[in-house]
Order: sequence, then C-alpha cells, then structure tokens
Amino acid sequence: MAQQSNNQTTGHVWDDDLQEFTNPLPRWWLWAFYLTIIFSVVYWLMYPAWPLGSSYTKGVNGVNSITYVATTKDGQQVEKTTHWNTRAELMKETNAAAGVQKQWLDQVAATAYGDIAKNPDLMQFVNSAGKTLFADNCAACHQVGGAGHEAGNPQTNQVGFFAPNLADDYWQWGGTYDEISATITGGRTGFMPAKGLAGALTDEQITNVANYVLSLSGEPHDADKAKLGDEIFHNPAEGGCLTCHSADGKGVPSMGGLNLTDKVWQWVDVPGQADAAAKVDVLRAAIIGGFNHVEAMPKWGTRLKPEQIKLLTVYVHDSLGGGK
Amino acid sequence: MATTNVVTGGQYNYDVVRKFTIMTLVWGVVGMLVGVYIASELAYPFLNLDIPYITFGRLRPVHTGAVIFGFGGSALFATSYYIVQRTCQTRLFCSGLASFTFWGWQLIIVLAALGDVLGFSQGREYAEMAWPTDLLIAVVWVSYAVVYIGTVMKRKEPHIYVANWFYLAFILATALLHIFNNLAVPFSLTGSYSLFSGAQDAMTQWWYGHNAVGFFLTAAFLGMMYYFVPKQAGRPIYSYRLSIIHFWALIFLYMWAGTHHLHWTAIPDWTSTLAATFSIMLLLPSWGGMINGIMTLSGAWDKLRTDPIIRFMIVSLSFYGMSTFEGPMMSLKDVNALSHYTDWTIGHVHSGALGWVAMISFGALYHLIPRLWNTRIHSEKLINVHFWLATIGILLYIVPMWISGIMQGLMWRAFDDFGNLQYGFIETVIEMHRYYVFRALGGGVFLLGMVVMCYNMIVTIRSGNTRAAA
Repeated sequence: MAQQSNNQTTGHVWDDDLQEFTNPLPRWWLWAFYLTIIFSVVYWLMYPAWPLGSSYTKGVNGVNSITYVATTKDGQQVEKTTHWNTRAELMKETNAAAGVQKQWLDQVAATAYGDIAKNPDLMQFVNSAGKTLFADNCAACHQVGGAGHEAGNPQTNQVGFFAPNLADDYWQWGGTYDEISATITGGRTGFMPAKGLAGALTDEQITNVANYVLSLSGEPHDADKAKLGDEIFHNPAEGGCLTCHSADGKGVPSMGGLNLTDKVWQWVDVPGQADAAAKVDVLRAAIIGGFNHVEAMPKWGTRLKPEQIKLLTVYVHDSLGGGK
Repeated sequence: MATTNVVTGGQYNYDVVRKFTIMTLVWGVVGMLVGVYIASELAYPFLNLDIPYITFGRLRPVHTGAVIFGFGGSALFATSYYIVQRTCQTRLFCSGLASFTFWGWQLIIVLAALGDVLGFSQGREYAEMAWPTDLLIAVVWVSYAVVYIGTVMKRKEPHIYVANWFYLAFILATALLHIFNNLAVPFSLTGSYSLFSGAQDAMTQWWYGHNAVGFFLTAAFLGMMYYFVPKQAGRPIYSYRLSIIHFWALIFLYMWAGTHHLHWTAIPDWTSTLAATFSIMLLLPSWGGMINGIMTLSGAWDKLRTDPIIRFMIVSLSFYGMSTFEGPMMSLKDVNALSHYTDWTIGHVHSGALGWVAMISFGALYHLIPRLWNTRIHSEKLINVHFWLATIGILLYIVPMWISGIMQGLMWRAFDDFGNLQYGFIETVIEMHRYYVFRALGGGVFLLGMVVMCYNMIVTIRSGNTRAAA
C-alpha cells in the first residue's frame, strides 16, 4: 500500500465527527480488479459461458475440448471430441478407472464361483471392490464387517433394526453361492403364519408350543407343556411348524425357516427377558401375530449390475466367511 | 475512545433501537446454543434422543433462522435505525410503523422456529417458512423500507452517508429476493408448491440463498462497519471514492453469482461458468470494504492495544477479507469439484458468519449499548475475555472443518489400483468424527463468549437509564 493519505476530506460531516478522506482508489486494488476481469474473459473462452438465444457460446474451438471414449447402445466403443462440458469431463475422468475395473469385472464374470477364491489376484480385486460395494449398499443393515443386528422388536412385529449376521456359519436362506446370489438379486420376504400353519391354534396350544420352542435351545421352560407343544409343533394339522422350521427345529433354508436350536434370536428378544414367564410371553406374541416382513431384505437385482451381484456374492461367501 | 455527546431528550427514537439491541443478544444466545447442540448431534448422534422435534434436520433451520434473521437481523434493524437517525439528523419516520417492524420481526422468528421444529418446511434453504409467515415477512419488510426511506427523505443533512447506501441496497434487495424466491401456490395453511420447477427452481433458490449472504450478511454489515469503525477509531473513512466504486461493483456483481452453489449439478454448464466468473470479479469489490475499514483504522493502531472494541473490528475485517477471498476460489469449477458437499463449505460459511458478521456486530453493540442507555461499559476486561473466546472459538471451528472437508473430498474421489472407489461413504463419516468433536467445542467456546457479553451488557444496561437519552 504505497499510497499515502492526502488528509483532504470531502468536506461533509455527519453526526459530529464522521468524515471521508478523498484518497484515490488504491492502484493495486484497481489493477487487481482489472486482472479478475481479464481472468473471467479467459474463462469464458475456455468454457460454455454466455447464452445465445436457445444455444450458448461453447468456448474457443479446440482450446479446452475433451476427448473421451463412449459406449454406444449396441456396445461399441467410440471416441468422441467435444467442447468442454461436465458430462464429457466425467466420462474422461472415469474412463481410465472404469477401464481397469472392467478387465477385472469381466474376469469375475467369466470365472466359476469356486475358482474365484482360488485366484489370489482376483480375490484381492473382489475384496477391494466388495468392501465399497458392501459398505455403500449392505452395511446400513448388516454393518461394515457383516456382523448384522439381532433381536427385533417383538411387540410391534415390524421390520426393526434387524439383519442376519453374514460372518457366522448360520444361513437363514442358505449359504451356497447360488442361494446368496438369489437372496441379493430377488430380496427375501420373511413370513410366518399367525397361530400355526392352519391359523387355528388355541391359547393353550400356543403356550405349549412356546414352551417347546424354549426347550429347543435350553431356555427355562415347563417340561409338561413343552411335551404337549412338541406334538403340536410336529402335527401338520395343528402347528405344522416343522414345514419351515424342520422336524429337528434347525430350519429349512429354502423356506427361510429359522433355526430354533442355535440360541440366535433374530426377531424375538428371548435372551433379554428376565424370567421364564416373560420369555413365554414374547414367544406367544410372535406365534399369535405371525410375521410378514415384505422384502425385509430388499432386492438388488434392479440396482446393481449382474457382475456386481456376483462379486458381492463371492465377497459375502468367502471374504466375510461362513459360506457353504 | 471517541467521545459522543449525550443526545438531548426526544431528538431520536432510541426505544425501538434498544428493543432490537436486546433481542440481538437474546437470539444470539438462542441461535448459537442450538448450533452447538446440532454440532454435538453430528459428533454424537444419540443426542437426538429419538425425539423427532430435536433431530438435526429440524433444528438446523432453527439454528440458521435464529442466527441469521434473529441475531443478524435484529442487529441490522437496531444499527440501521440508530445510524439513519444520527446521520440524517432527524427522528425516525413513523415511530408506530417502526414499532410494528420490531414486534412483527420477532413474531416471524418465533413462527419460523416453530414451523421448523414441527416439520412444516418449504425445503428452501434459509427460506423454510410456510407461506403465511412469508406474507408476514413481506409486510414487515415493506414497513421497514417505508420507515427507513421515509427517514432518509426527511433528513436534515444535504448528503446521504455511505452506511445508508449499504442499508438501502440491503433493504431493497432483500425485498426482491424474498418475494421472488417464495412465489408459490398454497394448498393448505402450511403447505404450498413453488411457482418454479426443476433447474429453474434450484437456481431461484440459490439466487436467493447467495444474495441473502450478499445483501443481508455482507452489504448490510458493511453499512454497520462504515459507521462504527470510523466512529470508534475517531478517524475519517479512508477513501470516499473507493466506497462509491466498491459499493456499485458489489451490488451489481453479487446478483450474478448465486449459481456457483449448484456447480456440478444438472444445470446448464454456461450458467455455472458465468457464476464462477462473476464470483471472481466480486473479489476486489468485496475487498474494497475491507481496505476502507482497515485503512481507516490504520491511523489508530495504538488503540488496538487499549481498545478491545477496535480489536473486534480489525479481526472482523480480517475474517471478512479472508472469507471473501476463499469464496471466489471455491467458486472455480476445479476447486469446487473438491469442496462441494464437504465440510469445507461449512467452515467457509462460519468464517464469514462468526468471523465477520458476529465480530463486527459485537464491536458495534459494545459501542452502541452504553450510548443507548446513557452509561459506561460495566467491564472492559470482560470485553477482552469475550474477544479471546470468540477468536479462539472461530479458529477451533474453521480449522477442523477445512481439514475434514478437504479429507472428505479427497476420500470421495479416490480410486485404487483396481479402478474401484477406494472408500465407502461410511469410512469418510468415521474419519470425520474427531473433527466434528472439535467443531462442537469451537462453537461452544464461541457461545461462552456470547454469554460473557450478555452478562456484561445486562449489568451495563441495569446501571444505565433511558430517560436522559430517550
């Protein structure tokens, strides 16, 4: 600031003592202002800038144009050169990464499930891509490491904060590659009819079945009632529970029937209850209300590409662990 | 310190100025408290306590409404009514209408906050209020314009002082912005459909949003600066010519720049380019105010050691200069590609809002309050405490936001050797946590300074009397 004050005022005085010096514009300020105008003009010559009727100026031809590779509808790769625009800029910037990624994805698509895990390089790619795919699509429910959430809200019988653990050995809908892939693609609807398969269990029968279910995982229960419940559980005309939960109570994966013997409680918070009576009550509520969780696991077939689903399947099966 | 004669009774209407001054303090505490709370919610989400009314999404507009329109707005009403009377040597035009602007404006802030908390929002940033509140704002604002312009028109001074130009530009532009941004077709008492749609709607919103910053938070506070800085320093404004040139350049250029808030979205590329260049051309006109302020103070550097009010002013001008440099840089396409949607933007806004708007307001209030109540400041030492709390609070706020924002932007765009995105979104959130804690802490320290000010001013006001000055 080389300018010095000339100590001349405009001669106006407001409010007793407010005055103004007549100093000129600081020269550096003025030149810097002109410089921003020159910068702007250059910017206008490089980018689309001013509207012209229904079109706009596109910058000086060739000064800031973008060349990128586009894929046509019939899958052909064509090189395009255009004036600067955000769409072309995005294509150019992602072309390189997408090219590298595509080679690996193609390899995943071309390799049989069982062979992917045997190829360390390919598995490294699966882990790298799977981590982000899983984090952005699955982790909201299943958590970053796939540990999931257990014990829903039995009172409201709604889809609560629940998601199966994907890192353990138990699979509600099956743990083979094909089953996991089907789960991701089509989603899953958890369903249990109210009051047994025929929907006609009496109050007393429900209490008996609840005691039997508790006995399956070693929870405190009334042995006599459990014995009666055992029969109802296995009688197709009464409870019919074995249809989905299987005769040994370990569940039928194709039906999504839960394993009742593994002490993992997904929808009914049995471990959280203080005494046997309360445990019976929460199970009774579940049997009376049934479940209908429409697409509790949403379908991703419409959101992810087939090769991404294949990659996620391998990631869940082999990287998170427990696959069958 | 400049000596000011005690005004003889009845010459000016100070009653409405006092009311707005007190509400500036009240809304300052309320708005900043809400800000600290939602900053804490971001760091520790359990703090929303599963109560929908206090979730971040609803309290955030309560925060912005209370600090911008409650604290900032009340400060502008108070100072503009004070300045226009003193520099025009005349009493406020139509005291009844001035009183109406006070009660109307306070009602608006309360209605806006209630609407936000209860979930009635237009979804337009800084303009969430439902249409009946918008109508009330229009009526109050036109009344404000009538009072202000009426006072200027019956002035006893031949010339209009520079501070008044800025306030006039602010009043006219805000009316224009508010009315056009809120054009809508109501379908119920609390709901309406915008008259615009798609890209036009987005551009209308940010034409409003950006110029709310430009005219409400920049031009109007420059008006405040142009009165209180020379008054407190006891020195003439550095350059009359600079004030004219930068005033016209500022108000002409600001109106074009709003679309830079929408870079890299589904708007025509040419709108984005124009907005970027007009933002760059805004840099020096914005700095004109800083230069005029700092050069005015430059003859009074010794006061920096003895007068804590001058300290508030010099720091506010420094933050003003810094954030009006940062803004144009962030409006460049390439810089924005990194900064957009990140915490950098939040840091930028707060270096302007806390550093410039709040600091210049504190300086003005410390000058104003003893004069309004015809007394002396209770404790200069506490002003100094406030100054340091505010300065440290701002730094604790904006530095973590810069780091967090740039880190966020870099993580989002990182690819690994396989051509995969390197980080999932959740990983960026986990990394941001520690910066959020510091940000909340910085906000808390700033709020503490505000509370110290309130205590100091309450004691000051109680020691004063309004009769002699009324």
